[in-house]
Amino acid sequence: MLAIESRQILSRVGSLVARNQLRAISNGTAQLQQQAQPKEDQEPQIKKFEIYRWNPDNAGEKPYMQTYEVDLRECGPMVLDALIKIKNEMDPTLTFRRSCREGICGSCAMNIGGTNTLACISKIDINTSKSLKVYPLPHMYVVRDLVPDMNNFYEQYRNIQPWLQRKNEAGEKKGKAQYLQSVEDRSKLDGLYECILCACCSTSCPSYWWNAEKYLGPAVLMQAYRWIIDSRDENSAERLSKLKDPFSVYRCHTIMNCTRTCPKGLNPGRAIAEIKKLLSGLASKPAPKLETAALHK
Amino acid sequence: MASASRPVSMKVVSVAETQKDESFFEKNERLGRKLSPHLTIYQPQLTSMLSICHRGTGLALGVGVWGLGLGALISSHDISHYVTMVEGLQLSGATLTALKFIIAYPAGYHTANGIRHLLWDTGRFLKIKEVYSTGYAMVATSFVLSAILALL
Repeated sequence: MLAIESRQILSRVGSLVARNQLRAISNGTAQLQQQAQPKEDQEPQIKKFEIYRWNPDNAGEKPYMQTYEVDLRECGPMVLDALIKIKNEMDPTLTFRRSCREGICGSCAMNIGGTNTLACISKIDINTSKSLKVYPLPHMYVVRDLVPDMNNFYEQYRNIQPWLQRKNEAGEKKGKAQYLQSVEDRSKLDGLYECILCACCSTSCPSYWWNAEKYLGPAVLMQAYRWIIDSRDENSAERLSKLKDPFSVYRCHTIMNCTRTCPKGLNPGRAIAEIKKLLSGLASKPAPKLETAALHK
Repeated sequence: MASASRPVSMKVVSVAETQKDESFFEKNERLGRKLSPHLTIYQPQLTSMLSICHRGTGLALGVGVWGLGLGALISSHDISHYVTMVEGLQLSGATLTALKFIIAYPAGYHTANGIRHLLWDTGRFLKIKEVYSTGYAMVATSFVLSAILALL
């Protein structure tokens, strides 16, 4: 413990000295600055974080909110920085998922300040008069603290068969030649393929809250549409017929919480509307602009 | 090296023995896991609020239709009798208009938002900015529609 602490202090002092030196050099006042003491006498900026806690190992324990006070001057700008700081310095039992810290892995999806987003790309509100509430993704079974059980969500994703399907695979040189796709056809996948499956949208959807066992939810439906509309995929009809029941798609009532909350700025609500158009016959999938298997002859 | 001398006994276990035959939901219930909070903690926002109002006004309209229909079956007098009863209350013009507005509002709102839903179903106005602008426009339209109905 002591060794770790002293190392932390040392590294902090070291970086402080280096920062002051750098500033002094760029100001051309190296000598003056070296005599002065480093100025770190600013008031601490204490922000309260109220975080949902629940540990299955404590028998009979009910979920509760625990408040942590973080000095924003000693903390990075994002909510994930604060969570990591709390875990490192105050309470190692606080449990959450995180990995890439740059909004591409989707691990740190949670409900922050009332809406679902990724902790790593969500700035801490520096207004210290208000506390920030952090909950796990809504209406999910909690494994512990901010960690929800995502298995149902992943199973639903598996169910839509998220891979390219061809009718005549045996007649094509699979893996030996490209499938052709026009620029225009390819652009239809923009805004769909970027989804990181963080489940922010699905767990913001009241319909998904009440019907998670049968309704696929916005994230999975947008991926279903991503494969339905791909000019290279030939199984669109089968994919659509699997969605025809009253629940898979039609529990969507265009509430649009999904699009409102997507941390990647995507539009699952629009994708579902497009699926409904295809299902109702209001639209149909256009033929590929290029002959997909031209290089396989 | 140390691990070589550690006594470890291994045995073959079939997959069926380790994997319980239970659904996602059964497993979570068995483990006593809690559902994370949802309705009570999610920020109220235009998207969900207008949606729940659409539900509410639809419900009110349904109750209205059933109420009128069943009322006509059960009640002893026809509707003109009840109209004269209300007239007999000597309500001021403003109160009457307000009452009519309240009765008309579900119809005004549900109609205006219904048109918004129809436009959505054709794939239009689904960007989040458009969802908000059509939302505000729809609320304004609903008030105008209900006011017209109330002033009839």
